[in-house]
Amino acid sequence: MTTPSGLAVTVDRRAAPGGPAHAAFATPGPAGPAVTGIGDPGSLLFAGPPAGAGGGGLDGHLGRWGALPGVDGAGVRALLRASALDGRGGGGFPLARKVETARLAAGRPVVIVNASESEPASRKDRSLCAERPHLVLDGAALVALAIGVDEVVVHLHRSPGSAAPALEAAIVERRRRGLPDPRWRLSAGPDRYVSGESSAVASFVDGGDARPRFTTQPLAVRGPSGGPTVVSNAETVAHLAVLTRIGPDAWGAHGVPSSPGTRLVTVTGAVPHPGRVLELTGPSTIGDALVADGLVAPPAAVLVGGFAGAWVLGDEAWQTPFSRDALRCVGAEPGCGLLGVLPHGACPLVETARIVRYLAGESAGQCGTCVAGLPRLAGACETLASGTLRRRGVRRMSTLGDTVLGSGACGHPDAVVRLVRSMLSVFDDDVARHLAGRPCRGADHPPVFAVPHADLAVGRDDAREWV
Amino acid sequence: MSVRIRIDPILCRGHAICALFFSDGVDLDQWGFGRVAVVDVDSPRDIRRARRAAAACPNGAFVVTERVAAPTAPSGRS
Repeated sequence: MTTPSGLAVTVDRRAAPGGPAHAAFATPGPAGPAVTGIGDPGSLLFAGPPAGAGGGGLDGHLGRWGALPGVDGAGVRALLRASALDGRGGGGFPLARKVETARLAAGRPVVIVNASESEPASRKDRSLCAERPHLVLDGAALVALAIGVDEVVVHLHRSPGSAAPALEAAIVERRRRGLPDPRWRLSAGPDRYVSGESSAVASFVDGGDARPRFTTQPLAVRGPSGGPTVVSNAETVAHLAVLTRIGPDAWGAHGVPSSPGTRLVTVTGAVPHPGRVLELTGPSTIGDALVADGLVAPPAAVLVGGFAGAWVLGDEAWQTPFSRDALRCVGAEPGCGLLGVLPHGACPLVETARIVRYLAGESAGQCGTCVAGLPRLAGACETLASGTLRRRGVRRMSTLGDTVLGSGACGHPDAVVRLVRSMLSVFDDDVARHLAGRPCRGADHPPVFAVPHADLAVGRDDAREWV
Repeated sequence: MSVRIRIDPILCRGHAICALFFSDGVDLDQWGFGRVAVVDVDSPRDIRRARRAAAACPNGAFVVTERVAAPTAPSGRS
């Protein structure tokens, strides 16, 4: 099958099948587009057996990658700088700068690998931890080395299907084998949307509740423990484990200059396999990823980066490479790598309203403007979707957005406002039709995105849910 | 001498007392929750007002700190 960029899917022409360890990845030169699933030839993080085929074992891992090369803390920091590895949890912040900042700060540093993946539809971090746990643990050990700590916390959400058992088994295997690891601590926190935000994770790991904190200094300068706290996403550290072995240049060549390395994405919504995780190489487009999952033509639109992401029209998304720079051109960010597909015939306003209502209910209930503003914003979206909002209401919505933007201790309210703004600008035709009271083309379409607690009219506010 | 002012949005309960003491340093939203309009305050008169606002906040949400050059580093999700 051919892709929007005209290249065959799941074919990486540089990878030698059955080649020894990582030698096949060492070829320099930029990679062409390729989209691979777990265990497909040409995948990097997901090299090895297919999903559920025991790719998480230590022997298989060492057979594929070999032992970590002898490298000291300064060596890891040099690799981080040379690679420009960006965070894959949503913020995209360079890991090298977090590490350097923590090194300069006073106090005992805390290192946390964030595998909580709060995005309800995202599966990349749990797939990675379940299928390739040793890459995540190798990477975590390297971050500990770079900062000079002897303990790493791996944080997950308590949710059905969590990767905790796979990580536990991997840790036991490593201990038995006597790998030169830091002490591991697995942490399982509440399964709430904002509980995966880095200050919430740091707070929970420090014994507090899993809600974002107001910080006057970055976590990497001073976290809840009083010492610098580095919170890094599971995929980010797995990339560090790979680039330490194959070198930053060979690793970077698997991506594009503005987005080095491969990127994991999860497809959801109107796709053949919602929840499928794919690894994107080179300048692969969003269309390439959707073709790899079985789509043959551009959908109506794609929600890029997460539930609190940005809408991109299908034709445009189809040809947009999934890189930070290319996505910025269409008003989106990689975020957590979620690609939510809206089919032709569904109403984007109805879908957005459902998501905004869910996100309003996922406020941690701490900051007044978020508590007061998000439910009103959700109400306005619902009124718009139902066709009873008038032009004046849209102006009020826009004012409300301005009020909410930047008001919170965390980025949650801002992200919701950006989603609503993206809906209003990308779907201006639909908005005009709804404002005119004309019938909605998607009135009878079943819900596209699986939004948790869609049946709840109000947000959950039980304090016990945060500990 | 200059100070940096911040309002902790988690502690702020919208009493809006800060705005009485330092009206041009604080914006209030429609619910009375405050947001700092200027982050760094230089003039002695404004520094005095900011300190009064901080002392008057019943929740300790209005925070005045001596200005230090902080390294730019991450916030939000990792």
